[in-house]
Amino acid sequence: MTDPVAAVEIEGVTKRFGEVVAVDNIDLAIGDGEFFALLGPSGCGKTTTLRMIAGLDLPTEGSLRIFGEEVGMAPPDRRPVNTVFQAYALFPHMTVRQNIEFGLRMRGIKNPELSQRVAEATGMVRLAGMEERRPDQLSGGQQQRVALARALVNQPKVLLLDEPLGALDLKLRQEMQQELKALQREVGITFVFVTHDQEEALAMSERIGVMSEGRLLQVGTPREIYDRPASRFVADFIGRTNILEASVESASTVRLDNGALIEAETSTPAGSRVAVSLRPERVRLQPHGTTAAEGSSLDGEVRDITYLGHAVVYEVAAGPVSIEVRVEGEVGEPFAAGDEVTVAWDRGAAAVVAD
Amino acid sequence: MGPARRSSPTAGAAGEEAAALARRRQGMLLASPGALYLLIFFVVPLGLISVYSFATRTSTGRTSLSGWNVESYRAIGDDIIVGIIGRSAWLATLTTVLCVVVGYPFAYYIATRPRHVRAVLLVMVMIPFWTNALVRVFAIRFLLGSNGPASALSESLGFGTFRILFTPTAVTIGMVYSFLTFMVLPLYVALERMDWSLTEAARDLYASGAKAFWKVTLPLTRSGIVAGCVLVFVPSFGSYVVPDILGGAKTLLIGSYIARQFRDARNWPLGAALSVLLIVAMLVAVALNQRSGSGAEDGGRPRGRRRGPGQGEAETVTAVAS
Repeated sequence: MTDPVAAVEIEGVTKRFGEVVAVDNIDLAIGDGEFFALLGPSGCGKTTTLRMIAGLDLPTEGSLRIFGEEVGMAPPDRRPVNTVFQAYALFPHMTVRQNIEFGLRMRGIKNPELSQRVAEATGMVRLAGMEERRPDQLSGGQQQRVALARALVNQPKVLLLDEPLGALDLKLRQEMQQELKALQREVGITFVFVTHDQEEALAMSERIGVMSEGRLLQVGTPREIYDRPASRFVADFIGRTNILEASVESASTVRLDNGALIEAETSTPAGSRVAVSLRPERVRLQPHGTTAAEGSSLDGEVRDITYLGHAVVYEVAAGPVSIEVRVEGEVGEPFAAGDEVTVAWDRGAAAVVAD
Repeated sequence: MGPARRSSPTAGAAGEEAAALARRRQGMLLASPGALYLLIFFVVPLGLISVYSFATRTSTGRTSLSGWNVESYRAIGDDIIVGIIGRSAWLATLTTVLCVVVGYPFAYYIATRPRHVRAVLLVMVMIPFWTNALVRVFAIRFLLGSNGPASALSESLGFGTFRILFTPTAVTIGMVYSFLTFMVLPLYVALERMDWSLTEAARDLYASGAKAFWKVTLPLTRSGIVAGCVLVFVPSFGSYVVPDILGGAKTLLIGSYIARQFRDARNWPLGAALSVLLIVAMLVAVALNQRSGSGAEDGGRPRGRRRGPGQGEAETVTAVAS
């Protein structure tokens, strides 16, 4: 890529805590103004990566640049980044105003600029009128806004968010997702946020980095990550999927272990062992024996039906493998347990993932 | 019918009241042995002391429990006694300040170690506390004596022998040593509760390490500092053993002076009046501390309920005792 200087550039960064390798040699460039998510299960190294960008942990090896400036070993107060902490870490002995002012005061910014910027920040997160309250007099959502204002008031070059919505209940979380996105568009600052919630990552970010066991497995847009997972782990971690064992036959076909030949694009050489990821909502059920004009199909028998309200999930046994089929927006249930059916999908729905 | 009647509002309220009464009774029952003990061995003697403070000393040094007067209280205004009280207050203040200065970094160090190391360090803090106070003070006396190791070391380094024993310096050293545990433990409790993500937030918001400590850690451990100061200041102000053994006659403090009134000078009313004064002063100090402790958020950890006045200290002290 020949894009201008990246907002955050991580090169060969490793973090060891004693014997434990928390982050294992990762490379990552996050663009200016990007909304980037670091996604992975707990203990995958995503928070450590974020803390290294913030300067709260120092990398054992590697280089870390913010807008081209090497900051890997700089203390947190010498970096143009601010953090929204997981449980917000608001100063309990200070009012909302004092919390928001803190960073500006530490940098010696005086009135009138001080109060003007604080007023702007409180207005931006809709906290006007709450300035004299203490954090323990605020609701979770309000505390989260204070944390945002406290960071954004400093006009950081990069805003880091550590599971920013984790402490909120579902409804508030969905509201805040929209608000955070809007806020990011408004301020135009690069947001890097850490989450273990794949739906949140898909819904909010422009690009996602999926991490597991200290490694960065795949970086891409939500669509790339979901439709073209690079590995079995990513396919399995993001959303629900059917993983079918297979081996490559040609550049456009793979043979499933049950013998069926299906269409799937792959660059893996013929004969390699691979897995095929088939999303439950990208496959459909047809009466037994009907074949589609294009795409592939498998014959099987309905084992189990789960009614979810907005969708019906069919468990279909196709030889030794079991395939989950998710049907949405259909009136009634055309198939019953025990029915012989054909599971069909369009070309491109099956993604070949390397082992 | 039965269950429906039981859940009717009036019956529910009555049941609640009865339960509350039972809880109160149970609480009183649990507290009564301790309360009785304190009544007999603390409140009654205290009452006797205050009675004696208004009695008259006869010319033979006996105490006559008649002709009640406030002569003894008036005698407190005497220059010598005012001087003694002033010196005691000064030494107690010095001891307290030194205990904070020495104890805070130490407690900070312990609180930031891994859990198993913390336990070992805490036991090490407690060991002198479990040793007989008299033995410890005599050990200090030996250490600081002109034939002791400290003097020998100073001489071998070419500074000559030193005379430190029987000076206020020796008393201060002894008091800091004796009361340091009372400072370290409440400080440890406060620091151990500290939410370190708050100092990280401060660092993230452009505070240097020192600024983060000053603006966040110190205010959030204030309850520990206050509790430690009360726990050190109160006993050092009235302390008797340490100044008696390390101070000699030149460093007469209020504790020794009171003891002297009861033993040698046989002026019980004056001794009693000074004791009452001391106790009242302590109570005022504790009450002030409790009031000031009400706003403290220990360590910044979120809590379910708001804390009442002085609860921070009370909790800290209990934690120390356990």
